[in-house]
Amino acid sequence: MVDVSTIYLVDGATGSEVRAELRDSIEDAQLVDWQLKWRPAHDALIRELIQKGVSRQQWPQSSHWDWRRKAAQVQGLLAFRGFCVLADGETQGMAQVELTKSARAPVQAGKPIVYIEYLEAAPWNSPELGRAPRYRGVGTALLSAAIALSVEEGFKGRIGLHSLPQAEDFYRRRGMVDLGPDPDPGHQHLRYFEMTAEQARAFLTEE
Amino acid sequence: MRLERSKEWWLARARQEGDAAVGAGLLAANPAVEQHGLEAQPAPAEETRIAFGRFVNLMRRRRGYSVEQLAEAACLEASELLVIEEDRHYVPQLRTVFELARTFEVPQQRLLQLAGLAVANDDGLRKEAVRFAARSESMQRLTSEESSALEAFVAVLSEQGPKRAR
Amino acid sequence: MTAKRTMTLNLTDAEMRALDELSARKDVSKTAVLRQALRLYQAVEARVERGEKLLFENEATKEKAELMLV
Repeated sequence: MVDVSTIYLVDGATGSEVRAELRDSIEDAQLVDWQLKWRPAHDALIRELIQKGVSRQQWPQSSHWDWRRKAAQVQGLLAFRGFCVLADGETQGMAQVELTKSARAPVQAGKPIVYIEYLEAAPWNSPELGRAPRYRGVGTALLSAAIALSVEEGFKGRIGLHSLPQAEDFYRRRGMVDLGPDPDPGHQHLRYFEMTAEQARAFLTEE
Repeated sequence: MRLERSKEWWLARARQEGDAAVGAGLLAANPAVEQHGLEAQPAPAEETRIAFGRFVNLMRRRRGYSVEQLAEAACLEASELLVIEEDRHYVPQLRTVFELARTFEVPQQRLLQLAGLAVANDDGLRKEAVRFAARSESMQRLTSEESSALEAFVAVLSEQGPKRAR
Repeated sequence: MTAKRTMTLNLTDAEMRALDELSARKDVSKTAVLRQALRLYQAVEARVERGEKLLFENEATKEKAELMLV
């Protein structure tokens, strides 16, 4: 049974509000969108970047995730949960979280967290090429979902994630603790960020 | 899990997000980009890598494939194929080279050397690669000159393969 | 919220003490401890089923010890 919450995004072109859905599951429709819409859009973006001579370091990442394989691997496992944002009948972003990891920040070391294993907005919502995203707010919605799940699971809103280099500012501005590049060589020097219970409470507050 | 917040709550946060990139997770990172940044292995000779990109481009067009069709046939990402064809600095994934060797029916080891993932132990291949890269020009259609350059180079790749028991 | 069912759990004093300790140390409720235990047990079983081993490595000595799950 999938829980659906009504959320609002902002249209990147007009600035107007857009009603959208936050769903607490990744289903077949998302895998189909990823295959038939995300990947071609991503390839078109890379083609344009090559034509414009943009250096590889500035390219969007996150193209190597094989959703179908991953979805099959975690099927039925309680340790993994997925979220997606739907607007205009299309998948605008997806996240997958793991519930069996522990916090690293000194104030909460060893306590369970919701670890964001993967979070991505659809290619047309990405800011590369200096073009306005189709919808703004997809990343925040997925981050909010992870925090809310952490609260529901009794983890008090604690979450952790490894940010892609170009997204570090986003997570800092969301009030997360930057614990620096991960020392484990397997983590490709990605910086690790954590949200404490207190920061989560502030994040979720209705002002 | 449901998350009930007011419309204003969501809109304020969406506006704060602005045009920020939001990607997270090791699995979201593109290993090709990192590999390039780390310079973990000695840079393979540029000329063989130019030849590798040209080779993939010509072989693909000879078969009348679009990038997407080749990606499909070789079980690879179209975006990586684009990079291979257009960026001489790019060092491809091992699996990519294996899949391309399989798809184009040329020896894996020679293609690995061309791609810079294995050390070429003879000067012959490098010279042939340079000649090949020089003779082949990037064009929409495969010209007869390109075709013959490609034929000759495929022959070199196959003949000069390391003398190993198969 | 996903519908949940209630069950009664019969634990010995020692088991209850362990549950209390974990609940305090991990800063989560007793129910959350048990749900976490279930997630971990299931994840480990799924990997053992696939032919993988569960190993603990001593960070200082790099010594590895296999945890047997039979």
